[in-house]
Amino acid sequence: MIEIKNLTKNYGQIEAVKGISFTANKNEVLGFLGPNGAGKSTTMNMIVGYLPPTSGEILIDGMSMNDNPREVKKKIGYLPELPPLYLDMKVIEYLRFVAGIKEVPKADREHQVARALSRLKITDMKNRVIKNLSKGYRQRVGFAQALIGDPQVLILDEPTVGLDPNQTMEVRNLINMLRKDHTIIFSSHILGEVSAVCDRIVIIDKGEIKAVDTKDNLTGTSSDGIVYVLRIEGVCADVEKLLKETDGIKNIMDISFVDENTSEFKLELESEDVRKTLVSKMIENDFSIVEIKKISMSLEEVFASVTRGKSYSGLASSENSDKD
Amino acid sequence: MFSLFKKEVQSYFYSPLAYVISALFVLIYSLSFIQWITSLTKLNLQFSFAAIFYNQFFYFIFLVPMLTMKTFAEERRMNTEVLLMSTPLNVFKIVMGKFLAIGVVFAMIMALTFLYPIITAVYGEVRWGSLVCGYLGFFLWGMGCVAVGMLVSSFTENQIIAAIFGEAAMLILWFMDKFNDIEWMRSKPVLSSLLSAVSPKSRFEGFATGVFRVSDVVFYVTFIAVFLCWTMISVEKRRWSRG
Repeated sequence: MIEIKNLTKNYGQIEAVKGISFTANKNEVLGFLGPNGAGKSTTMNMIVGYLPPTSGEILIDGMSMNDNPREVKKKIGYLPELPPLYLDMKVIEYLRFVAGIKEVPKADREHQVARALSRLKITDMKNRVIKNLSKGYRQRVGFAQALIGDPQVLILDEPTVGLDPNQTMEVRNLINMLRKDHTIIFSSHILGEVSAVCDRIVIIDKGEIKAVDTKDNLTGTSSDGIVYVLRIEGVCADVEKLLKETDGIKNIMDISFVDENTSEFKLELESEDVRKTLVSKMIENDFSIVEIKKISMSLEEVFASVTRGKSYSGLASSENSDKD
Repeated sequence: MFSLFKKEVQSYFYSPLAYVISALFVLIYSLSFIQWITSLTKLNLQFSFAAIFYNQFFYFIFLVPMLTMKTFAEERRMNTEVLLMSTPLNVFKIVMGKFLAIGVVFAMIMALTFLYPIITAVYGEVRWGSLVCGYLGFFLWGMGCVAVGMLVSSFTENQIIAAIFGEAAMLILWFMDKFNDIEWMRSKPVLSSLLSAVSPKSRFEGFATGVFRVSDVVFYVTFIAVFLCWTMISVEKRRWSRG
């Protein structure tokens, strides 16, 4: 549905986007994740045809923006980071205006405006002047604008920034409702959000793609990286010594003190079998186990390790370099 | 394009801007009118509306940037440029929509001054031909200034800067043919004839004396077209070099 090939954008000397390629399939929610300044907004602005790319190609439904901008633009609904609102207009006037410039047929305009209003739950606000609305409502008016024209593709640039938790939840529900018949690219620097909503995730940093994968693969539930947290009563140094002697422990990722006599170890194991040896060894040495639990690497950790420049082992490079 | 045009016209009336500008315009017009009728003597019972327009224009050019300053500067600052550019509208339609909208607002403001010819017609006699000619010339010249003001607005995202540079551009347009009085210019006949050829003010003199010349109309239309094209290029260029 959306194909990005070797997309590059230079701002003078600065390379904001450095030859990225990815695809979003039909009716897929693609998360676009990266720290501030990673090139997310620039990429999105290029997809919607606002910024011309320095090089590379964008195909929406097989059509290129260069060849037929008018038809391609009709297929896209865009919510930029800062909602593009005319503050002096009333909500309904604004949405009618958007329907007009998006060339929605006259007969269909009122229906589409009404539907966008009800989907965003702002029907009550339709006669309010936009400048009198709170940030949350302005964001929703911006979102409603993106839905006008019934686009197949929705590009949402940080749609939940500045919303309270309830509103964030509503946006998520809305995306879940829209995913049935829309292809959605959704950017965020908040990981929890992306993992809650998206089918696949693209991690971008400094203009380059660091990882493209499903959420499960990225967080490592199906790949390597079996991580256990072990809470043990005993002298910390002794436990650590014992752990280092045990075979099959790849990595002691973290040690933290819980209280005087208890400490918590975060361990990466080579296989599930190691757990049994580990537990029996602890018992042999009279260390009592307070807690043992398996955790998967959180998206935060994946994100941190990926954007810090280390390669993500599930992706292109096959080496396991995460051993620090 | 019609939606954009409609929204642009409305946008002048959401805020007091259009009302304030029309009030100021009519005030200045009225003062000129009063000045003319109070100086009427028994020997000379004539006055010319075109001459009022001619005087009026010097003040009016300071109002034009007030109308045009927001056209592109504000779109850019409020991020609504993204909305316009990501819809099927193209730059030509955006520029034309905005230009025509200002044209309508300008025509409405001008229409307010119809009051005076009507009053004059009640108590005296109006030469309608020369009056229409004056209005037409004023409108064409005014729209030329609007095109220049829009261009200036497309250079910046700050309305105040757009207004100030707009005023400067208007002054240059106004005083353009005065440069011909400089000694140095007199020694350069080619340059000075070129300057008077492109000076919009001297073109208005025909209209002001009640002479309708097609060449003058063509001049203003070309003048407008050149500046609108330049505006389109400027808007498009900002997209490419943004950052």
